Amino acid sequence: MEFKLEAHRIVSISLGKIYNSRVQRGGIKLHKNLLVSLVLRSARQVYLSDPCPGLYLAGPAGIPAPPPQQLGEPAAGPPAGWGEPPPPAAGASWADTEPQPEGSAVSEAPRVGDAVPEATVTGVGVVPQGGAADAAKAAWSRVEGPRQAAAGEAEGPAGGWGVFPLGSRASRRPCGCPLGGEDSSGTPAATPRAACCCAPRPAEDEPPAPPAVCPRKRGAAGVGGGPTSFPAPGSTPLKKPRRNLEQPPSGGEDDDTEEMDTGNVANLISIFGSSFSGLLRKSPGGGREEEEGEKSGPEAAEPGQICCDKPVLRDMNPWSTAIVAF
Amino acid sequence: MKCFSRYLPYIFRPANTILSSSCHTEANVLPSGLLPSGQNKLGPWCSPTGSPAPLSCETGCGEGSWILVCRLLVPTQVSLLSMEEDIDTRKINNSFLRDHSYATEADIISTVEFNHTGELLATGDKGGRVVIFQREQESKNQIHRRGEYNVYSTFQSHEPEFDYLKSLEIEEKINKIRWLPQQNAAYFLLSTNDKTVKLWKVSERDKRPEGYNLKDEEGRLRDPATITTLRVPVLRPMDLMVEATPRRVFANAHTYHINSISVNSDYETYMSADDLRINLWNFEITNQSFNIVDIKPANMEELTEVITAAEFHPHHCNTFVYSSSKGTIRLCDMRASALCDRHTKFFEEPEDPSNRSFFSEIISSISDVKFSHSGRYIMTRDYLTVKVWDLNMENRPIETYQVHDYLRSKLCSLYENDCIFDKFECVWNGSDSVIMTGSYNNFFRMFDRNTKRDVTLEASRENSKPRAILKPRKVCVGGKRRKDEISVDSLDFSKKILHTAWHPSENIIAVAATNNLYIFQDKVN
Repeated sequence: MEFKLEAHRIVSISLGKIYNSRVQRGGIKLHKNLLVSLVLRSARQVYLSDPCPGLYLAGPAGIPAPPPQQLGEPAAGPPAGWGEPPPPAAGASWADTEPQPEGSAVSEAPRVGDAVPEATVTGVGVVPQGGAADAAKAAWSRVEGPRQAAAGEAEGPAGGWGVFPLGSRASRRPCGCPLGGEDSSGTPAATPRAACCCAPRPAEDEPPAPPAVCPRKRGAAGVGGGPTSFPAPGSTPLKKPRRNLEQPPSGGEDDDTEEMDTGNVANLISIFGSSFSGLLRKSPGGGREEEEGEKSGPEAAEPGQICCDKPVLRDMNPWSTAIVAF
Repeated sequence: MKCFSRYLPYIFRPANTILSSSCHTEANVLPSGLLPSGQNKLGPWCSPTGSPAPLSCETGCGEGSWILVCRLLVPTQVSLLSMEEDIDTRKINNSFLRDHSYATEADIISTVEFNHTGELLATGDKGGRVVIFQREQESKNQIHRRGEYNVYSTFQSHEPEFDYLKSLEIEEKINKIRWLPQQNAAYFLLSTNDKTVKLWKVSERDKRPEGYNLKDEEGRLRDPATITTLRVPVLRPMDLMVEATPRRVFANAHTYHINSISVNSDYETYMSADDLRINLWNFEITNQSFNIVDIKPANMEELTEVITAAEFHPHHCNTFVYSSSKGTIRLCDMRASALCDRHTKFFEEPEDPSNRSFFSEIISSISDVKFSHSGRYIMTRDYLTVKVWDLNMENRPIETYQVHDYLRSKLCSLYENDCIFDKFECVWNGSDSVIMTGSYNNFFRMFDRNTKRDVTLEASRENSKPRAILKPRKVCVGGKRRKDEISVDSLDFSKKILHTAWHPSENIIAVAATNNLYIFQDKVN
């Protein structure tokens, strides 16, 4: 169990590093991001391989979500992004720097996206690793959805999503935005998404908000507000074929939220999974399969991933508390 | 307003830090006199026990103590400007610079290198400047002042650039400086940032021509009609002026960040290595280079390792090594093929499975590789150890030294605060008998390969009384902490010594601690 916690924490920290690397001076450092992605892979393997039931927690802890409105102001991004010093510690500075880099990241995204493939590929390459983990988290968060609903928070997955603390809901929003906005340059899209999925889910007592609305809104705002070089919102559909290749989520209460979330996950998988699959392939568990399994979530045939188990759900509380404490 | 200070050194300088050939040290570290002869010297070398941290030293070893020669602050007017800088610039001054001097991030020394004779010492900083120090000449009157280094020349080597095509800012931080062997009165060095290598010529001018016919003394042209006599211009002495001029700029050859440059022993070529490629240059040709190593996979998604350091063999101009992020070293022979993707030798030590952790890959990434002066050995530095390899044995190093193994249990925290990505360098002494590398808390370690003894020393302002003997330090790993020991938890991870240099023939070392340059000398009895 401790390994899970540790792995979880490491994953969240790693994602934070990858995210912050985008706003650091001098461009994305290939070596550092490669190392971070290796750590992510190791942590993810530990996370997935350990059959500990308390595993299926909501999301990585300790990553507060950025205020969503930042995404709507990418114009402020570039100068802020440039002037922003690299935050000293990903974990510690996550909360502080998220809002700013979020906006700058979005605006930087198109720049990176427009970049010569080499540089872009670098970013894309290293980020997906994190995204895969996020996909996993997202999938598990959907698992938690029903439980939260059962706990009386709200109905169905929508409620489940709403169970997220306000912070995480906010983080959900960036999820939607870059998702629709990016395809070629996976990095920028990925990392905000990663950031979002990394949102902690501490308190189950958070009032359920309309997450369905938020992501959608976010998506529109984020994409629309992005710099001109941002892919048009219409690029979201580009993800769909990819998504269809994967197992379609069979979440029963598939409402808008869940679809969106699934879409997020699917997009995550498509973006992250296709890139840096080399590392995934090299993982003994077979990264690709793992990814798809995570994405499918509850209905996954992934070994060891039994969702919606009562014992799993029972263990969520202490786990969430641990996350809060963390 | 950000980075304002880095452009002002030449304009706005407090009176006591005038850039000139005079000593630039702060007053309180000027050497004050000879050591009392009867002083009890603590021997710096500690007996080997196999434990990671050195033992507290016994007194009286006296086998060569290290004394501080001078502490040099890379010239900049820190205190005045940083007060006035706005909040943006404050943000740039990361937290670890809060210590003492309000130094801006631009003053952090990023590379240190002695030239081939040891007379000159070059430092590069994050602000793109190169400062060259020259050893003070020995004189009968002030024999104790020999060994001091004074500022010789300062110039701005690289400026921040912006790659408009990729929308990336190119940092001006000097990643490496390498000297060329001296072939005439001028000195030549290569300095590189992330993308561009420059060849600088540093020359002295101590004579000035006077008595031109067509120009008057101020340089204005004279009306030829007013010239009635001709004279031959003569050279008159003038105050020594050291000027640095960029002679070559080798640009646009690297897509990724340059991490190493190395001058070939033929003195005609050099190589520059970035994360995925190594290029071979001729000094005379700046518009093209040969790519000799390319490890970029066809599909970037399959990237698993990057090049972290590269160096030419000191004597064989066809041989070079490069290290990777996976902890492997490859030796290549350029005679074998034009593209040296296939190595001639492959050095790798099998991983110890018992030490496996999330961060095993990070700590096995090699941050520096150096040939010994003899050319027989290579030394590699990864996060926790220094290893010496024999070129003739590829399956494991012949020596492994633990630099700070007490950090092994703290890898997660070091990962969080990014310290685990620090790239420490390592150096040989002139005779290849001692190796040195840096650590945290401004500690640096020396390992004697022959006696197997090691010592931990500290480069700090508190201990920087001039000519003071460095006292060996010890890190307490647990349990009871003895009086002079420091516990692992009280180590200051913001004070790290990444860059050190050893004089090619004498026991003089230069240690860069953030924005301070410490020069220590071995005081033999």
